[in-house]
Amino acid sequence: MGGFGKNELAEKRGYTYRLTRRQFLVATSAAALAACGPAAVTPGASPSASPGKELKLGQLLPFTGVYAELGNSMRRSTELYLNQNGRKIANRPVNLIYGDDANVTATGVQVAQKFIDQDQVDVMMGVVPTPLAYGIRNAVHAAKLIFIDTNAGGNALTRDTTNCTPSCKSPYIFRASFSSYQISYPIGDYLSAKGTKDWFLAYANYGFGTESAADFTTGITKNGGTVTGKVAPPLSNPDFAPFVTQIKNQPTKNVYSFFSGADAIGFIKSWNSLGLPAAGYKMYGAGFLTEQDVLKEVKDLANGAITSLFWAVELDNAENKKFVADFQKSYPLLPDVFAVQQYDGMRALDEALKKLGGDTSDKDKVVKALEDVSFKSPRGDFTFDKSTHNPIQDIYIREVKTQNGQTVNTISDKIAKVTDPGK
Amino acid sequence: MSPELVFQQALNGLSFGALLFILASGLSLVFGMMDVVNLAHGAFYMLGAYVALSVVQSTGSFWLAMLAAPLALGVLGFVLEPLLLRRLRGRHLDQVLLTIGVSLVIVDVIGQVWGREVRSLAAPAGLDGSVALIGGVYPVYRLFVMAFGVALAAAMAVVYRRTRIGMLIRAGVQDAEMLGALGVNTNRLFASTFATGAALAGLAGVIAAPVFGVQPGMDTDPGLLYSLVVVVVGGLGTLSGAVAGSVLVGPADTFGKVLFQDVALAVIFAIVALVLLLKPTGLLGRIRIAR
Repeated sequence: MGGFGKNELAEKRGYTYRLTRRQFLVATSAAALAACGPAAVTPGASPSASPGKELKLGQLLPFTGVYAELGNSMRRSTELYLNQNGRKIANRPVNLIYGDDANVTATGVQVAQKFIDQDQVDVMMGVVPTPLAYGIRNAVHAAKLIFIDTNAGGNALTRDTTNCTPSCKSPYIFRASFSSYQISYPIGDYLSAKGTKDWFLAYANYGFGTESAADFTTGITKNGGTVTGKVAPPLSNPDFAPFVTQIKNQPTKNVYSFFSGADAIGFIKSWNSLGLPAAGYKMYGAGFLTEQDVLKEVKDLANGAITSLFWAVELDNAENKKFVADFQKSYPLLPDVFAVQQYDGMRALDEALKKLGGDTSDKDKVVKALEDVSFKSPRGDFTFDKSTHNPIQDIYIREVKTQNGQTVNTISDKIAKVTDPGK
Repeated sequence: MSPELVFQQALNGLSFGALLFILASGLSLVFGMMDVVNLAHGAFYMLGAYVALSVVQSTGSFWLAMLAAPLALGVLGFVLEPLLLRRLRGRHLDQVLLTIGVSLVIVDVIGQVWGREVRSLAAPAGLDGSVALIGGVYPVYRLFVMAFGVALAAAMAVVYRRTRIGMLIRAGVQDAEMLGALGVNTNRLFASTFATGAALAGLAGVIAAPVFGVQPGMDTDPGLLYSLVVVVVGGLGTLSGAVAGSVLVGPADTFGKVLFQDVALAVIFAIVALVLLLKPTGLLGRIRIAR
């Protein structure tokens, strides 16, 4: 184990602070424990990272709080991937360390710091909420910790931004999920190019919702489309009737929306009970509006909704069929998009480290190897954009239909190789 | 806003207010009688919704869920009061702290038993349609919610003012010690009151589920957050206060959220701040003498 000198710590963090006596005790005793652990398991392991040595993989996920089910889903596909590969990544046995952020940014930042200082993980993955991804960016960058973001989609994490506000790209950060641009701009461009010019917006009023609405607006404006109005309920809004009533009392029939989870269910139920389909209104949105967690609750109420995403459980390719089947063999449920993101993150790491013979000691080599990763994912061809570390991926246009009693997203079109602009 | 839109939003606001009344009535009752702000109220509400989910899944009957959930929560309240709260009687802050602990345990147990996915409950057959009203169709269930809220308030008023139980509650609110000295079993009265409060939370869990949904986090928002807002605005511990609070907060929140969308989250707190500035005891609160 490396020493726990104060200067080394400070160098890793990029800043210094005084330890309290209690923090010192916790840290030193944990370090002592950590030093004993691996030695007992793998006698004779050399102190420097070398092939065959245990790979410490930190997973920063929510297991409590409103996004707990997302964390559970991502844990399932992590375990699935490891079980399929003999619990090894690039021939190194994996020591998985899960940390719960509880959907509280401050808690998540602490867990990330623990991964860096105390556990000294080789690689970190996970992170569901964008504010947390932004919150840990500087610590991860300063520690040169390889971090593969497997959900948080805020654009700034993989972009050049002024003064790095609210966040900016880092060579050590990769994203295996998506940027909000990728699930919002292409569908705006696509629909307005087909002739639908007037749009009303309905989105959850928080960072990700406003970003999605803005990117969609850029997409339609490019082809001469306009936004005629908007409603923006707060996140986790209990009652959607007031907002849907506002939509019903304005003339623009095409509504682009960004909601997910409980908000999406509330929105779709109010949309129907207030009679918007009969009045000729049509629902569009970013894909999370009609993912399985929502569809299994609203069923045919969502029929006709058109959304865009980089994956759907119904996607017809060999990798997806195998992934869905394998997932269902291990768990009594269908995989969701979060499981796919995490699975691809694990795969990307595995592919990259295999090229290095499992050696993670030179961070810049790991970065280079990840940049060159290319494989067939359940979502289609998967590569990282070398300039942003955001994936280059196909975006699917999907329509919700009920077939044989099952409500599913049917793929109606594909926008190939969508890349985030990076600024 | 056109008159039609104002009418529709007023309906939305009043039905929202009715849900808030059902949600807050139990909290208000317990506070009035026992002087305890039961911070587990939101968790009771959440548990009611999940019990309803299971009952509907296994029997298909929403109406049975409307009986079963309040009953289950009532039993839980009847056990919890003597088991935990009674031991700390008179130590109000400790009791409040205890209820936070109870809520944490309940929410975690729900996560273990029912999972942490987002769920929902459909309105019962017969109430799941929509009727024609000014400006288009309106969901029947929301009209039912309004009627139910009014009926519940009326029933509680009758019990409170016209029955022996109501008389005991009113006396207990005034001076529980004296009531005990007069030969009334206050232990049983307190347990029953706490059980009734929990049962009302469970009932709210069932009735609100088709509108608010069933999901992790519902214990605090809307559960505890809105019920606290209603009782603080209306006045702590009185039935009329809970009614006044819901009738004000429901429409104010609805109109506020659509008119001032950029600050929609703050609307609810602006209402609370305004009422507390103008009338610190709430709209219809009793002036409490420190004791």
